[in-house]
Amino acid sequence: MASRGTAQRPNGTQGKICQFKLVLLGESAVGKSSLVLRFVKGQFHEYQESTIGAAFLTQTVCLEETTVKFEIWDTAGQERYHSLAPMYYRGAQAAIVVYDITNQDTFTRATTWVKELQRQASPSIVIALAGNKADLGNKRVVEYEEAQAYAEENGLLFMETSAKTAMNVNDIFLAIAKKLPKNEQTGNAGTSGQGRRLVESEGQKPTSGNCCK
Amino acid sequence: MSPALLENEERCFGGMTFFAQSHPAELCGSNGLPLTPNSITILGKSQFLKTINHPNLCSYLDIIRSKHERTIVVAEYCGKPLASLENLSVDKVIRIAYQCLVGLKYMNKFGLVHSHLSPENILIDKNGTVKLFNFGLYYMTDHGKNVSFPIGYPKYTAPEIFLSSGMRSVKVDSWSLGMIIAECLLGCTLWPGYKLSQSLRKVLSLVHTENSIFERISRENNCFNIYEDLPEDVRAFVNDCLQIYPSQRKTPETLLELPIFQEFLKKDDQDRENSLYENVIQRKMDELYYLWQLAGGDMTIELKRQGLIRSRPPILTIPNLVILLGQMFGRRDIAGLLDLRVVKVSLELLSQRLSHIPYVANYPRLSNHTYAQEPNDLTDTASQLPLIIRERDTEYQFYRIVLFNRLLQIYPITKDAIKREAHKDIPPPVRGAIWAALLGVSGDIQTKYDMIDKETPTHTDRQIEVDIPRCHQYSELLSSGAGHERLQRLLKAWVRDNPHYVYWQGLDSLTAPFLFLNFNNEARAFACLSAFIPKYLHKFFLKDNSAIIQEYLSKFSQIITFHDPQLANHLKSITFVPELFAIPWFLTMFSHVFPIHKILHLWDKLLLGDSSFPLFVGLAILKQLRDFLLASGFNECILLFSDLPEIDIELCVKDSMSMYQKTPSSITYRKHQYDQSKAANWNEPEVGTEKIPRISVEDLIYLVENSPDKVLVVDLRNNIQYERGAIAGSINIPFTSVQLAQDRITSLGPQATPLSENKDRIVVVIGPNDQNSALFAEFLIGCQVFGVCSLQGGIYALRSKASNLLLPARKEKGFF
Repeated sequence: MASRGTAQRPNGTQGKICQFKLVLLGESAVGKSSLVLRFVKGQFHEYQESTIGAAFLTQTVCLEETTVKFEIWDTAGQERYHSLAPMYYRGAQAAIVVYDITNQDTFTRATTWVKELQRQASPSIVIALAGNKADLGNKRVVEYEEAQAYAEENGLLFMETSAKTAMNVNDIFLAIAKKLPKNEQTGNAGTSGQGRRLVESEGQKPTSGNCCK
Repeated sequence: MSPALLENEERCFGGMTFFAQSHPAELCGSNGLPLTPNSITILGKSQFLKTINHPNLCSYLDIIRSKHERTIVVAEYCGKPLASLENLSVDKVIRIAYQCLVGLKYMNKFGLVHSHLSPENILIDKNGTVKLFNFGLYYMTDHGKNVSFPIGYPKYTAPEIFLSSGMRSVKVDSWSLGMIIAECLLGCTLWPGYKLSQSLRKVLSLVHTENSIFERISRENNCFNIYEDLPEDVRAFVNDCLQIYPSQRKTPETLLELPIFQEFLKKDDQDRENSLYENVIQRKMDELYYLWQLAGGDMTIELKRQGLIRSRPPILTIPNLVILLGQMFGRRDIAGLLDLRVVKVSLELLSQRLSHIPYVANYPRLSNHTYAQEPNDLTDTASQLPLIIRERDTEYQFYRIVLFNRLLQIYPITKDAIKREAHKDIPPPVRGAIWAALLGVSGDIQTKYDMIDKETPTHTDRQIEVDIPRCHQYSELLSSGAGHERLQRLLKAWVRDNPHYVYWQGLDSLTAPFLFLNFNNEARAFACLSAFIPKYLHKFFLKDNSAIIQEYLSKFSQIITFHDPQLANHLKSITFVPELFAIPWFLTMFSHVFPIHKILHLWDKLLLGDSSFPLFVGLAILKQLRDFLLASGFNECILLFSDLPEIDIELCVKDSMSMYQKTPSSITYRKHQYDQSKAANWNEPEVGTEKIPRISVEDLIYLVENSPDKVLVVDLRNNIQYERGAIAGSINIPFTSVQLAQDRITSLGPQATPLSENKDRIVVVIGPNDQNSALFAEFLIGCQVFGVCSLQGGIYALRSKASNLLLPARKEKGFF
């Protein structure tokens, strides 16, 4: 479990807990749900069932100064569920757009998601591009350099990940956590209408998130 | 007293077992998923064999997958193997050959090649009837590819099998039969005591025979004198079988055309005609096997008892060498070989259990063809027991299966009776057929299904392809190759057959239960799906279905409010809307939410209700989570649904049924529902604007006239209008007197006491003005009053349709 990257704070106290809404987007069967499952529960299911509508999970990441709690919306990948997507990415402070390195179409689809986010989502949104299924290197179709160049052009975080081997899964969430602004105002702005707030707490444990158990 | 099963039962169950070849560890398929274990591939493929029923073939009953890639095959076993019979007359041998050929011809029709014929698996019963046992081994192992042992007895194997690795034709069976029959006719064992390699060499040496192979064999085995005494046509038959070149060898079908068999054929035709009018019910083997299992039978245990399954010290299964890539060498395990032993298990256990049931129980009485009378009151009292117990009760299941089979025989005229019986429960073995009946499936569904193009590539293919390998994959059947192929065909067929609809993710889950139940009857699975979707998911699969889903979810919110205002208020206060969790529920009718075994019980009842039933299922699920939801905030609630806890499905079904029955149907009217007959003239305000449902005048009239104790009418008009004419027993609360800002019923004054005490009466708000009615109803919800709805059309509708119900109210309410 040492590889989870969500190390527990030794004394159990911390300065700030920031909550961020993060949304996962991408073509179906690229591994969105698997990434989340790996990140949140450290599990991997070969036959992860498809997501209909959306699923919601939370996980906490501890940085040096702050504790970041992600509220993760894992969306359905099928193009038809597109109309539901804005409901989930509205007010999101971060997004991971996922593609499958063994399938060129999923990369193309990822680029359209990025465009849509840049156009429609909150302007300060942190977008990460994840080339998933990196464990299937021998079936690679999308070159690392191609995706990296695209990510740089568009100011995205980029990593190739593998939900199966856990490669870079925590890292990509950690990188997002680091890049997200932690001051009170941005942390608070645009949170979903569910009364999300930035919690200032002394010694209060985050309500959920495995890292603090 | 005569028992339910015929006494002269010679049939029994035969069990055998072998290991599928295991894949090298960690090997993945092209999609990155692990390879399907061969035992699962075998399981899926062998399902088809269960559909092969013929008097000369032993029916397959079950294929069980056990630990370490072990496959257990259960089939009918009848009589004694040919190998155990001695000194057979030539006539008897020919009669046996004839029946073997008839069996082979029948299986060849389905593209099945036996390839495993031997005197051990040609069974002959007391009456001389021949049945071929284990005829599907070659087929179920995908032509032997999924097992590490060769298929076929070396001595009886056609020479071309040793010389090429291609697919075996039906002619290999002609050869094997020829060898077997030759042995019988010559009355000796060919090449006795030969080792495997020697008999193999013997078979191959025959390739160079120039004349009759039969003659050569007889000379080699010192029985040429017997050969010489055989009738000419018998020798000709064996020679036709034993042709070296497959091109010159006859198939089982053409062998049957030989003159020697013509008399048998004629007699068979006659027998068939004569038996047409004999109607002795003999329970089918698959039913008996099912009941035998209920009675405690277990083939795995039988195989263990007889030593066919033996646990071995683990050390013996460790290979000598494993290289880093995972390949293994020197396995000291002989499990890869085929164990030829067959365990016979008699029906004794079952006969004992059913011994006190009279034979006539096989004939349930049906009067008027539509009404089923219970053979005795056993099933009635038993139907009070929990479903789980009923489903495991041998006797109860016997009665139910007999009854349903009878009803199905003359479906569709028994449609109503089937429906009535299905309300009690549905026995698992007939569930597929019963569901089809409940959905009104009839006619030539096979032709219709065959006509649909399931091959041409479409844009949806990729989506279907990625969805199938993750659809209910815990199920061995659905995760097998055969399962994937069938599901794909069904989905493609549906998309093709419904051009106005599109494939939405979730359709795969929705199709899965139908495929699961009708694994060997795709046409019926398809017909069920095609009937199910319009009935329960009308327009849900439109390309733009947002209006339909929105309406459905908004109706769901109304139903929550109607039945559980406290929960509705809480969910509203944390902005926890059904859009966040209920889309997969309703779009897939819960098939994406529950495992198959739960879906089956849920849908058993769902199919008896209309398209509003699922709303109550949703409500019943919420009810089980109620305490947690009420105590939780938004995040906890949504987390709960992302990882739904175990739901007690029997309780869920019971709750949904009771709420469904308590709710007048107009409460659930939707503009987009399939059956518009009732919803006609229904002017619902725009979706989402009213939080409480409306009730139709007809439903109100029905309630007032038939069960006045179940309804509480609140009249919002002013006193004067009210006293002129109102529904007897109604309460008058003039709207102008209501302080909407309040949240306590007591603020309405003493006449509102029945409202605050209301537990299960339906509260109908009647006003002169829809808007005010809605406002007042919402006020009641705020006060957590159960069962609130407003009258569609208000007082005017009531006046025009049932003015007789409006009585001068002065006397009724003396306290004014």
